[in-house]
Amino acid sequence: MKQSNTNRYLDLIKNGIFAENTIFKLALSLCPSIAVTNHLRNGVLMGIAVLFVQVMVNTTVSLLRNFIHPRIRLPVFMLIISGWVTVTDMTMAAFFREAYKQMGLYIQLIVAFASILARAEMFASKNKVAPSMFDGIGMGLGFLFALTIISFFRELLGKGSLWGYPIIDVKPLLIMILPTGGFFTVGILMGFFNWINMQYAKKHRSS
Amino acid sequence: MTGKDIIKITLNLVVIYIVGGIILAAVYAWTSPIMYRNAVIEKEKALKELIPEADRIEKLGDWSIHDKHAEYFFAKREDVIIGYIIQSFGKGYSSYINILILVDKDFTVRKINILGHAETPGLGDEIEMDSFKNQFMGKERKKLKLVKTETTDYIQAISGATISSRAVTEDAVRNGVDFLIKKIRKGAEDETVEHE
Repeated sequence: MKQSNTNRYLDLIKNGIFAENTIFKLALSLCPSIAVTNHLRNGVLMGIAVLFVQVMVNTTVSLLRNFIHPRIRLPVFMLIISGWVTVTDMTMAAFFREAYKQMGLYIQLIVAFASILARAEMFASKNKVAPSMFDGIGMGLGFLFALTIISFFRELLGKGSLWGYPIIDVKPLLIMILPTGGFFTVGILMGFFNWINMQYAKKHRSS
Repeated sequence: MTGKDIIKITLNLVVIYIVGGIILAAVYAWTSPIMYRNAVIEKEKALKELIPEADRIEKLGDWSIHDKHAEYFFAKREDVIIGYIIQSFGKGYSSYINILILVDKDFTVRKINILGHAETPGLGDEIEMDSFKNQFMGKERKKLKLVKTETTDYIQAISGATISSRAVTEDAVRNGVDFLIKKIRKGAEDETVEHE
């Protein structure tokens, strides 16, 4: 019994990272994925903030799922989301001052993330606490993974640096740190990700 | 919708909003003193970093630019004024850029320090790079001009971030220095009388 539970949780996490990756598969929350990913550090911190909010929101919604009246579930979800985002915002402002100066604006924007509301509505409001929590971890890690890859390429190609440290002397493609470059990167990576998925599926079917 | 539903919905909202409010208030009460303390420490550190040789930095007064409140200070070493520091704001591409400017007694800029901004990461945020900031060293008031070509006489704009560069040079620094010149030259006589 315990074994099957662990497997199920692992599947939920894998599902969030690969099969239902917020950005590459569901194509949700594309705005922040372009807005913050011109710097590797910003991408990673944003991913961590979203991971925390997603886990907390899923857990809270799941705990309250029998208490919330179906007619008002969306306003209640929004309140829960904005509450946890504000907690993240205030904590970051107090303890990570340097990063917050650049990230502050986008942290508050997590409230409007479609992916978080969608997970609360589609998964957490119908499932028990533990699966909801692992679903949150999976979705959050998937988002973190996507933002890290996107910002890695954008900072490296656009600024020639990683995490603010110069790697190459020149700026090969200045366009990469502009929003235009963000669209290019997301599009190309999305295609690549799906191509790998297709190859993987083909191999599985033939063997 | 029955009466029972209405009562349940009301109860739902009341309970959730009250609990949410309490959690937020608790987190705020916990984090806001830390935030305030860090802000004060950061400001003192920024002032000190600008002019480490000073043994006393004191506030001289307040002024405002772009409807934002800013302060100016004098720095003393063994009771002799060795420079003035003024905080200033410049209207950049996507934010107001908050800057500290250190000037000598003859109002030549010695150093600037960017305290905060929200310019485009990767482009506008290069105003924080030393290569840009160091250009201000030893610039007189009339040399505070942004040019797009290579220069050492004036301030050279960062490619791709002309608006941010201009905000720092011509908006924040030049206006700040102008204010200091006006204020301190005018008040110079009363000041000396007061101090003696």
